[in-house]
Amino acid sequence: MSNNYFNTLPLREQLEQLGKCRFMSIDEFSDGVEALKGKKMVVIGCGAQGLAQGMNLRDSGCDVSYALREAAIAEKRQSWKNATENGFVVGTYEELIPTADVVLNLTPDKQHTSVVNAVMPLMKEGACLSYSHGFNIVEEGMKIRDDLTVIMVAPKCPGSEVRNEYVRGFGVPTLIAVHEDNDPKGEGLALAKAYAAGTGGHKAGVLMSSFIAEVKSDLMGEQTILCGMLQTGSLLCFDKMVEEGIDAGYASKLIQYGWETITEALKYGGVTNMLDRLSNPAKIKAFDLSEELKVIMRPLYNKHQDDIIDGTFSRVMMEDWANDDKNLLGWRAETAETAFEKTPAGDVEISEQEYFDNGILMVAMVKAGVELAFETMTAAGIIADSAYYESLHETPLIANTIARKKLYEMNATISDTAEYGCYLYNHACLPLLEDFMKGIKTDVIGKGLDVADTGVDNARLIEVNAALRAHPVEAIGTTLRGHMADMKKIV
Amino acid sequence: MNKIVIENYTAEFGESFTLDQVNWTIGPNQHWVVTGTNGSGKSALAAILAGAGDYVSGSISGLPERVELVSFEAQAELIDRELKKDDADIMDVISEGTLVREILEEGKSDNPDFDAALLEELIGKFKLETMLARSFRKLSTGETRKIMLIRALVNRPGLVILDEPFDGLDVESMAMLNDLLQSQIDTVPMVLVLNRFDEMPEFITHVAYMDKGRLHHSVDINDKQAYDDLYQLLHLKTTDLEVPETDDTDRPPALNPEDPLVRLQNIRVAYGDNTVVDGLNWTIKPGQHWQLSGPNGSGKTCLLNLITGDHPQCYVNDIFVFGMQRGNGETIWQIKQYIGYVSTALQWEYRVSISLRNVIISGFHDSIGMYSKSTDKQKQVADQWLELLGMKDRADQPYNQLSFGDQRLLLIARAMVKHPTLLILDEPCLGLDDINRQLVLALIEKICASGETTVLYVNHHAEDQISGIHEFKQLTKAT
Repeated sequence: MSNNYFNTLPLREQLEQLGKCRFMSIDEFSDGVEALKGKKMVVIGCGAQGLAQGMNLRDSGCDVSYALREAAIAEKRQSWKNATENGFVVGTYEELIPTADVVLNLTPDKQHTSVVNAVMPLMKEGACLSYSHGFNIVEEGMKIRDDLTVIMVAPKCPGSEVRNEYVRGFGVPTLIAVHEDNDPKGEGLALAKAYAAGTGGHKAGVLMSSFIAEVKSDLMGEQTILCGMLQTGSLLCFDKMVEEGIDAGYASKLIQYGWETITEALKYGGVTNMLDRLSNPAKIKAFDLSEELKVIMRPLYNKHQDDIIDGTFSRVMMEDWANDDKNLLGWRAETAETAFEKTPAGDVEISEQEYFDNGILMVAMVKAGVELAFETMTAAGIIADSAYYESLHETPLIANTIARKKLYEMNATISDTAEYGCYLYNHACLPLLEDFMKGIKTDVIGKGLDVADTGVDNARLIEVNAALRAHPVEAIGTTLRGHMADMKKIV
Repeated sequence: MNKIVIENYTAEFGESFTLDQVNWTIGPNQHWVVTGTNGSGKSALAAILAGAGDYVSGSISGLPERVELVSFEAQAELIDRELKKDDADIMDVISEGTLVREILEEGKSDNPDFDAALLEELIGKFKLETMLARSFRKLSTGETRKIMLIRALVNRPGLVILDEPFDGLDVESMAMLNDLLQSQIDTVPMVLVLNRFDEMPEFITHVAYMDKGRLHHSVDINDKQAYDDLYQLLHLKTTDLEVPETDDTDRPPALNPEDPLVRLQNIRVAYGDNTVVDGLNWTIKPGQHWQLSGPNGSGKTCLLNLITGDHPQCYVNDIFVFGMQRGNGETIWQIKQYIGYVSTALQWEYRVSISLRNVIISGFHDSIGMYSKSTDKQKQVADQWLELLGMKDRADQPYNQLSFGDQRLLLIARAMVKHPTLLILDEPCLGLDDINRQLVLALIEKICASGETTVLYVNHHAEDQISGIHEFKQLTKAT
C-alpha cells in the first residue's frame, strides 16, 4: 500500500510547501524554450490534454513524440489515431522512453502508479519526468529514482482550449512546480519554465507552486464547489421545483443550462458580476440566501479540507480503487437514477436573463460554494492565487459539462478522483440542507421574485454591494483576470 | 401562399444598428433579391422575416409558420455549437461531433412536413453519399454551406431566406444550386440576399435595395428603367487607391532571393484511409503570383494550411518555407511572420471584442486578438487602413458588432498591414458587395505590382481575375 508523502514531512515543511505560490513575471520567460532545445520529449498518453500540449510544444520548436502501450498501437486505438493523424512519431515505451530527455506523463491519475512503474526503469540517467497533477507523488508517495528530475506543468484549462489559445497567439494560465526531492542537477525550474513557454502558458500567466499545494487545493476545489456543489444543487433545486408544481421539463432545462449561463457571468467578472446580473431585490435575496448557506455548509467544507490535508480522503478512495471501485460505481449508478437526471430538458425558450431571474437560489449556491472553498483553502495555508484557480476559475468549465449532458456528462468527464470526492460531498450535503430547503419557494427557484416594486433600501443595497466586492476572492480575481483581459469573447 | 406585409417596421440589431421604418410587401409567387452595400442592413431585412432583431414598432402579417434562414451567421452558429461539443473536455476525450446525416435529419423528429424523399433526392443530386458519415465539423466551408441549404429545403418551409447562398460554392455546385432553387419556385417563395448582382438567378421577380438601414427601392424586374438605374448605383467605381505604408521596425530576417518562398514536394495528406492530397508538388518563387482553384473539398485550404503551419501533417511532409525545412526546430511564429492570411476559417476563429483598430494591428503580431503592446507607428498605419475602408470614425468600436462583410474587409486589411512576404487570400471577396469587392481586387493588384509581396490567391469566381497573376494551379478531388 502507498505511503502518503505529505505526512512524512515535518509541520514546518508542510506549511512551507502549502504556502508556495507566486505569480511569475513574463520577464522570467525570456529564454523561451531554450532549455528544451535539442532535447527529446516523449509524451505518454494521447487524450485531449496530451495531444494539445504536444502540438503546442512542437509548434514552439520542440522535438515531441508519443509513447503508447503496445496494445494501443496494435489495435490502432483512438490515442494512436490522435497521434499519427497529427503527424507525430509513435512508438512503444521500450522504443521511445530510453531515448527521452523529458518524459511527459499525461495519463489519468489512476494510472500513474502503473505507468510510472513501467516507465521509470526505462528512463535514461539524469532525464526528467513531468507530471500535470501531483497526486501520485504527494498522496501515493511514489518514490522517483534519485537521478531523475521531477517537475509539474499543469495548464488550468481543458485540452481543446490549451490548443486554441495557443493558435490565437496566446495561452492559458498554467501552474508549474519542481519536486525538490528530485532536482539533482538543479535544472527543474528551467525545464518547467521552458515547457510552460512551449505551451504558450507564459503569456496568460504562470503560477510557481509546489506539488503539495497543487494537490491539496485541486482536490478541495473539485470535490466541493466544482462538482459536489453543482451536483447537490441540481438535485435539490429540481426536486423543489417539481414539488412546487413547476413543469418538470422547464425545471430540468433551467438547471441543466442555468449553471453554465450564470457561471459565464462569474468567469467574466467574478461573484460580483454574477450577482450584478440580478435585479436589486433579487441580488439582496441571493446574498442573504448565500450567507445562510455558508453558515450551514462551512463545517462540511472544513471536513473536506481536513480529510484532504491529513490524507484520509486519498486513503479511503484508494481503498475503493483496491476494492474494484465498489463505492464509486454504486454512486454513479445511483446518480443516473435521480429524477433530475431522468427528466429531459423541456422544449421551452429560456432567455439568458431568465436563467438569472428564475435561478436566484442557484446563484446563491455558486456564490456560497466559491467563497467557502476559497476561504477554507486559504485558511489551510494555500495562497489566494491557487485557491482562486481551483475554485472560481474552474467552475464555468464544469458547468459547461452539465449543460452538455447533465450530471452524467460531468461525472464521466471529470477524473475518478473528482468524481469520488463529488459523491462524498453530495451524500453529506443533501441531508445538511434538508431543513434549509423546507423554507425555499418558487420565488427564488423557478419563477423569480414576485414583486411589483423593485425598489430597495439604499443602506441595505450599499451594504450588500460592499460586502460582495470586499470578499478576498474578488480582489485576487480582478488581478488574475486582468492577465486574461483578452479572453475570447464568444459573440 | 399568403401575402406577407411589413408595415412601418422598426427593429434594433445590437446597439449599433437599426432597421428603420420598413414598408415591404412580398406577394404570392414572388421571389426577391435584397441587395445593398456591406453594412446597409440587407441581411437584417431578410432576417426579420425569420424573427431576428429586437422589435421596436410596426407590424408584420402573413408570415408562414415555418421559415428557414440560411446565412453565414446561422452557419457560424451551427459550427460554434459543434465546436462547443468539443470544448469542455476536462476528461480528455476528443469528440467527433455530429455526423452530416444527423445534421440533415435534425428536422425529422418534430416537423411533420419533413420531406425524406426530397432529402434522398438531393443527396444524390449533390453527390453527398460519401459525406454522410463524416463529422460535420470537418467539412470545408463550401461543403458546410451545401448541407445547410439542403437542410433548409427538406424541412419544406413556407418561406426560404438565403443569405449569400452562392458564396463559398464552386462553379459546378453553383449551377446545381441554381437548378435546385429553380425546381422549387412553384412550391415556396424565396428571398435571396446577394452582394453580387451577376449571381441573380433567372427566376427572381423583384429586387429590394437597402441603404443605411432603410429600404430605398423595391423594383419589379420587368420595370426596365428602374432596374437599370439600380444597376448603375451598384457599380460605382473605386477612385485612386494607395496601399498604406507599413511599420518597418520588426521586419523578419531577410531571405535568400535565390531560394523559393515555398517548396512542397510529393505532398500526401490523409485522415485514416481517406487521402485528401497525394503526390503534389508546388514551388512558389519570390514575385511569382499564383491563383489556386479547385472544387469544394479538393484540398485547397489543406494545402494553404501546410504552408502556414496550421496543418499538423506539415511535420510529416517535405516542406521548405522561407528558408526553413519544416520539422527542424523552427516555430510556427517564425513562419507566420512572413505571411499575411485571410480566409473564412480565420473569420470564424476571429471572435473577439477588441476594437477595429486593434484587429488591424493584430496583423503585425500574427495573433487573433491583441496580447502585446502596439507602437505609435502601428496605430498610425492602422488608421490609414481604416480611412481607406471608410471606417475611420468607427476605429474604437468593437469588431464583433460589425456585419459579416465589414469584418471581412477588416481582416483583409489585417492580412496586408505588414506588407508580408507572402500574402495568402483564400476567397477574400466572400461576403463583399460589388463596391468593396472592386476595392479589394484593386488593392490586390497594387500589392502584386509593388514587388515586395508575392500573392497567392484562391477563388471560384472566374470574373474576379487579378491582372498581375500569371500562374495558375488547379486542384482536383482525390478519389
